[in-house]
Amino acid sequence: MKTQLNTNTPKTKVEKEPALKGTLASVLFLGFFLIFTWVSVYFLFLNRL
Amino acid sequence: MMNGTWKVDARDGKLAMAHIYVAFVALALGGLAGLLQVLVRSGKFELPAGISYYTILTTHGVLLGLVLTTFFIIGFQFAAVSRTAGTLSDRVRFWGWVGFWLMTIGTAITAFYILIGEASVLYTFYAPLQAHAGFYIGLTLVVVGSWVSGFAMFAHYAKWKKAHPGQVSPLLTFMSVVNMVLWLVCSLGVAATVLFQLIPWSLGYVDRINVLVSRTLFWYFGHPLVYFWLLPAYMIWYAIIPKIIGGKMFSDSLARMSFILFLIFSIPVGFHHQLVEPGIDPAWKYLQVVLTFMVVIPSLMTAFSMFATFEMYGRSKGATGLFGWLRKLPWNDARFFAPFIGMLFFIPAGAGGLVNASHQLNQVVHNTIWVTGHFHLTLATTVVLTFFGAAYWLIPHLTGRVMTKAMNRLAIIQTIVWSIGMIFMSSAMHFAGLLGAPRRSAFSTYGDAPQALEWIPYQIAQAVGGTILFIGIILVLIIVTNLAFFAPKGETEFPVAEVAEQAERTPLVFENWKLWIGIAVVLILIAYTVPFIDMIQNAPPGSKGFKLW
Ligand code: HEM
Ligand SMILES: [Cu+2]
Repeated sequence: MKTQLNTNTPKTKVEKEPALKGTLASVLFLGFFLIFTWVSVYFLFLNRL
Repeated sequence: MMNGTWKVDARDGKLAMAHIYVAFVALALGGLAGLLQVLVRSGKFELPAGISYYTILTTHGVLLGLVLTTFFIIGFQFAAVSRTAGTLSDRVRFWGWVGFWLMTIGTAITAFYILIGEASVLYTFYAPLQAHAGFYIGLTLVVVGSWVSGFAMFAHYAKWKKAHPGQVSPLLTFMSVVNMVLWLVCSLGVAATVLFQLIPWSLGYVDRINVLVSRTLFWYFGHPLVYFWLLPAYMIWYAIIPKIIGGKMFSDSLARMSFILFLIFSIPVGFHHQLVEPGIDPAWKYLQVVLTFMVVIPSLMTAFSMFATFEMYGRSKGATGLFGWLRKLPWNDARFFAPFIGMLFFIPAGAGGLVNASHQLNQVVHNTIWVTGHFHLTLATTVVLTFFGAAYWLIPHLTGRVMTKAMNRLAIIQTIVWSIGMIFMSSAMHFAGLLGAPRRSAFSTYGDAPQALEWIPYQIAQAVGGTILFIGIILVLIIVTNLAFFAPKGETEFPVAEVAEQAERTPLVFENWKLWIGIAVVLILIAYTVPFIDMIQNAPPGSKGFKLW
């Protein structure tokens, strides 16, 4: 027997948060790019030690 | 807050335009110097009539780094406070003109001594290079003039606050005040070295100068200086661009919070420009580097806020998918396109900045042309393209004209030309810098050293990019001249964004100036007091002045 999931909770009116998936993806890309640049020059630094 | 006038009063407009004219004259002359520099550095061209490369480079740095920026910013901010906090009083406007003339006369004096070859000390005027006293005196007038204008803006803000007790001030006025507070606090440092060290020394009243103290005072000023350039661009991004695209601001509080963080964290960090300086204990350098990295927070807040503004707008227009909102943006509106491209360039610019500020990585790039590549992204692209984008509505607003379709198209082309030129020039500078090519050097093969020969292809690319950029300068001058004098008469909007409905109410705490300036001062004292005492107590004998040109 399946556990009864509580599917019929009353629909409370939730404050609509704007969907910002694209923003999330963009800032993640930005963060990645910053780290990538930093690490590249860091390895250059190590190479020249 | 519907009581702001919708149109900048004509008398305030004149004050703002006076600043903007000087800014664009500086762009024309400084741009010409830039063109000469890239040509010299390609090795294929020599300056005629024995003109020194360093005279040209000083002209370029002073006109573009100091004059163009300060004049445009103060003009823009006068227009912005007049637009959002009401027409200036006659007294405030009078002092605005006093500030303008002090700055203009100071610029003329400084330019005179540079051009007659008595002041080839570059725009950072590091001791022990010694310029004619007139160079420093002119700069003093520029700084004093900017203070007068800053206090005029403070007075205007105070009047608004008095008339609206308990209310949150208009965002653009608040931001202008933050920027002028930042400027005031940091320019005390440069004023101190100029008045107490450089002027007496250049006049011969004292023989020797404490070099480390003067450089430290310069960089106490020099880093916040770059935020003084950047914050007006952020004003345009946060408070104006959302209106131009037809959307809303993501959050007023977030914008104010990021400005306050810049005020607090952009001053006690000057040592990140002095990481290879002997005479400063590494522990203090470390502390200031940590504080420098705090600026990452408001920078990323700004990035997030801009993406969110664009995405919210695009989705409200029915965009779907991860990046569908990008397609909804008004790509053929130069008022949006130029600043947007500026924002994109800030991504590599910021990445390079993190490298510069990290002590070890700084050793890879210190004093190489990488650094020049870096600030031609931050200042000469992000900030400048944003200012151009603002000029495209601000100038016609102030002169009672409208931008024609043809000029808008030319402005789009201008942005593309600038981008192409800068990609060539700045990338070449970054790569040559990683290979060790020095900044602030005329062409030399250093006795055909193999390392120096490696730089030559990059220096050629730099010249190609710089020449394209110079075309970009001609284009923007055509547009600006058209908007100021020839465009058809009419009404142009000064766009000011409203806040999105979902955003929280702005708390008043952001205008608790005692608190924020107090924190800034405490951090400055923590970061600077001990090393500064050290520099004075354990100073080597000072240096005589040098004129190497
Ligand atoms: C035609 C466009 C431009 C070209 C070709 C150009 C080229 C150059 C070059 C080659 C240098 C470094 C030379 C050296 O270190 O030996 C330089 C330095 C500099 N540029 Fe530009 N630039 C241009 C536009 C701008 C703009 C628009 C700004 C600022 C708004 C700017 C600000 C500066 C500053 C502050 C320096 C540092 C000067 C120094 O190191 O003393 N440039 N530029
Ligand atoms: Cu800095």
